Amino acid sequence: MKTTPIIGLEVHVELKTKSKMFCGCDAAHFHVEANTHTCPVCLGLPGALPIPNKTACEWCVKLGLALGCTINEESFFERKNYFYPDLAKGYQITQLQKPFSINGKLDIDGHIIRINRAHMEEDTGKSVHIDGFTLLDFNRSGVPLVEIVSEPDLISAEEAKKYLNKLQQIVRYIGISDADIEKGSMRCEPTVNVKMETDDGQIIYTPLAEIKNVASLTGVMNAINYEIKRQIDQYQSDSIAKNSTNKTTRGWDADKNQTFLQREKEGSADYRYFPEPDIPPITFSKEQIEEIRQTLPELPEAKITKYKALKLSDYDAGLLAEDSAFSFVFEKALGSSTDPEFAKFTANLLNGAIRTHLNETQTEIDINKINATHFQEIFSKKSELSSTAIKQLILESYNSGINPLIFAKDNNLFQISDTGALEQYAKEVIESNPKAVEDYRKNPLAIGFLVGQLMKISCGSANPQTGKDILEKLLK
Amino acid sequence: MAILKQPLPLKNKMTDLFKLTLKESKEGLKSKKFTAVELVQSCLDRINSVDKKLNSFVTITGENALKEAENSDISLPLGGIPIAIKDNYLTVGLRTTASSKVLDQYIAQYNATAVEKLKKAGAIIIGKTNMDAWAHGSSTETSDYGPSLNPWNTGHLPGGSSGGSAAAIAADETIISVGSETAGSIRQPSSWCGVVGFKPTYGRVSRYGIIAMKSSTDSPGPICKTVDDAAVLLEIMSGNDVHDATSINEKPWIRPEMKKNLNGIKIGLPSCYFPKEIQSEVKAAVLMAVETLKKLGAEVIELTDVLDPKYSIAVYTILQRSEVSSNLARFDGVRYGHDRSYFGQEAKRRIMLGTYSLSAGYYDAYYLKAQKVRTLICQDFDNQFQKVDAIIGPVSPTTALKLGAAEGQSMFGEIQDMLVEPSSIAGLPGISIPCGFDKIGLPIGLQIITPQRREDLVYQIAKLFEDNTEYHLQRPKL
Repeated sequence: MKTTPIIGLEVHVELKTKSKMFCGCDAAHFHVEANTHTCPVCLGLPGALPIPNKTACEWCVKLGLALGCTINEESFFERKNYFYPDLAKGYQITQLQKPFSINGKLDIDGHIIRINRAHMEEDTGKSVHIDGFTLLDFNRSGVPLVEIVSEPDLISAEEAKKYLNKLQQIVRYIGISDADIEKGSMRCEPTVNVKMETDDGQIIYTPLAEIKNVASLTGVMNAINYEIKRQIDQYQSDSIAKNSTNKTTRGWDADKNQTFLQREKEGSADYRYFPEPDIPPITFSKEQIEEIRQTLPELPEAKITKYKALKLSDYDAGLLAEDSAFSFVFEKALGSSTDPEFAKFTANLLNGAIRTHLNETQTEIDINKINATHFQEIFSKKSELSSTAIKQLILESYNSGINPLIFAKDNNLFQISDTGALEQYAKEVIESNPKAVEDYRKNPLAIGFLVGQLMKISCGSANPQTGKDILEKLLK
Repeated sequence: MAILKQPLPLKNKMTDLFKLTLKESKEGLKSKKFTAVELVQSCLDRINSVDKKLNSFVTITGENALKEAENSDISLPLGGIPIAIKDNYLTVGLRTTASSKVLDQYIAQYNATAVEKLKKAGAIIIGKTNMDAWAHGSSTETSDYGPSLNPWNTGHLPGGSSGGSAAAIAADETIISVGSETAGSIRQPSSWCGVVGFKPTYGRVSRYGIIAMKSSTDSPGPICKTVDDAAVLLEIMSGNDVHDATSINEKPWIRPEMKKNLNGIKIGLPSCYFPKEIQSEVKAAVLMAVETLKKLGAEVIELTDVLDPKYSIAVYTILQRSEVSSNLARFDGVRYGHDRSYFGQEAKRRIMLGTYSLSAGYYDAYYLKAQKVRTLICQDFDNQFQKVDAIIGPVSPTTALKLGAAEGQSMFGEIQDMLVEPSSIAGLPGISIPCGFDKIGLPIGLQIITPQRREDLVYQIAKLFEDNTEYHLQRPKL
């Protein structure tokens, strides 16, 4: 029997606008004292009315454009009616019939994943369960969310992960959200079932399951993989196929590494959507859409192509394009140069020394500390500098802003290429290492040891290549 | 909140200050004939003596109002003037119930924009007026605090839902008042109580802080003793509000210059606004008004092709129930003190019907179709206003009905409001002004409707009519 997983993803991205979706309250809610960022609107008090956040709407369109969506010139909000204690108004303002963005796509290694929509909505409050009580915190109530709904085009957990990575990268690139799954600013709900082709050619679909509470990327993968296996096993034991009423909602238990049944018969949920009478329809003219498109930065895919044209490896290009700060820094350091050698040099420093330094100090890259001239200066003298010295210099430039060439001079980091001085060292090395000289005569590769000794007595200041040349000349 | 039992002694035996209009009150205050305290006291005394009978008020502010009066700045447009506010306007520090026990103890944390503006203009809230619970009705009989009664005849209803405000004005319990209309709730009680009710264009007055009923047509507006008083209030209440996305993006409305006559004005008289069931005295009074308007120079044209208002009943019912079912969801028992069992029969009926009409499989047949018919109604008005500048007609097919008339009639309100529903659905401005009395002395109201944002014309016609008639000078004997 051939089995193919069918996976769709609903992703919620919390926008990092200053204020909430429908009121002026501060949208920050992570580690904020409960119910301090609230007002009549986000508390859903009687008589309060929503005013849509212009920036949030534009960002939703911006994301839509980044995902290749069509932007609806006229859209409107709708009410989704349901009861939940932390849903202040008894309905959520969202978009159903006419969302801002529809019909986009993401290319995952050549496999096109269709995106049904990227629509605008508001977050709910938070229920906090303590000692048998449920407390309500409305700081999150009304925080802007964009929901990105994929078509069920993904066929593996691995592909789902790549899709999420890519989506996260785009969202961060265009600067509309931190998209941090652990902090909840990006949330993912996979819907999974399996297409099974029996040996006699019969095609069966297992019942749909929507998985909630997945709080990490690994969790998403594990949950999908678990669910695929569970559904195949389940079908083999009960032979129940998908129908219009047997969709279930399952929770993800990360500790037990398994999903569990939360709600059955999801097909019957009725949210009684209708157009939100408190908000007039919203229009984006072609010109406005074009203006928003102009604000889109170059996206990771385009960056990678560009970097590869500079002869960078897939690995280097991918790593630099991974986040917008790094690619920005790379391009800043590179300046107008199109020299592949300089590009490789710069990429190595950023992906190597700088990245290691950031990891060690647990800091984020600071684009202001990148001095393009310093990169060029170091590059121009790289033949006189050891790789260790180069790393040291770029870190000095990054941390203290000091001119690397002056620093190198003051700290004797330039390698000695002066043959006179080096000959002196070489003679010493030959005299004090007769055994090694013997070895060299038998095997020219043993020169390495002598070069090492030369470096040692010159305290590292010797240019190893010049030193090697002189040693070989003297031993001829 | 207690009613003040000991009236303060007044100078010059000016015990009838409560009878004054806004204009007269302002003149009296300015010329120091009396003080704001005396004016407020006079209204409180009046409330004290008649409200047990009428039940116009749910809450009375008493001493607080007097304290405010002491510090009032009479140079403000409404400085020192007592105002009665319909109990669906949120007022800080003063409970707001919408006449439902669900909100029996609810004290709002913020003022409605309209309240804020009225207070800033110096008005002194003397109480919150009774209404149909959640504004569901046209009689005040669905109020959880008992019905208000018609000051002209306490065996009759005041109309609704702003029945408390209309009764309070008719009974001189206050100088000015505000109500709100979703489909008739300002004009119909004003008609039944013989006062002036001015329903502005949808979005002219902010809805922010007014407990939502049918959000897409809710229109707050004044109920007063004269056209000018109502117009002054509308000037103060109107204007764009950053808290209401549906508010018209215009500066506050101001009264236009008065016309000497109605020369050149074409007024339409839809024949279908005189249905078979219409009370003959109502018809006669409105036709008499037509003659008056003609004498003033207007050309009155009979409109024979106006969309029958009966269609509005169905449209309004579906849309209103749908929005109500959603708007009342927030009163879920988690907050506000009382749970959903405190909802009265009428609210429960509306929530159920609205929930049904929005449900999957019914949405297209009900909600969506109703929206389409709404568009047709709007288009019909557009067409009519190609032919005429304004439309007039009776506000209600009858004068005030007897107490208990609404009982067992779940569509009572819709039928009573049939003649004001089409213009409400289309978001048009309109006014109800007194134009006569029936044989038992109950008032009859004339409505004047214009295209959106043409309150200027509503005002000019109404004011000229009022200046040339004396119906508005009649007061009930209490």
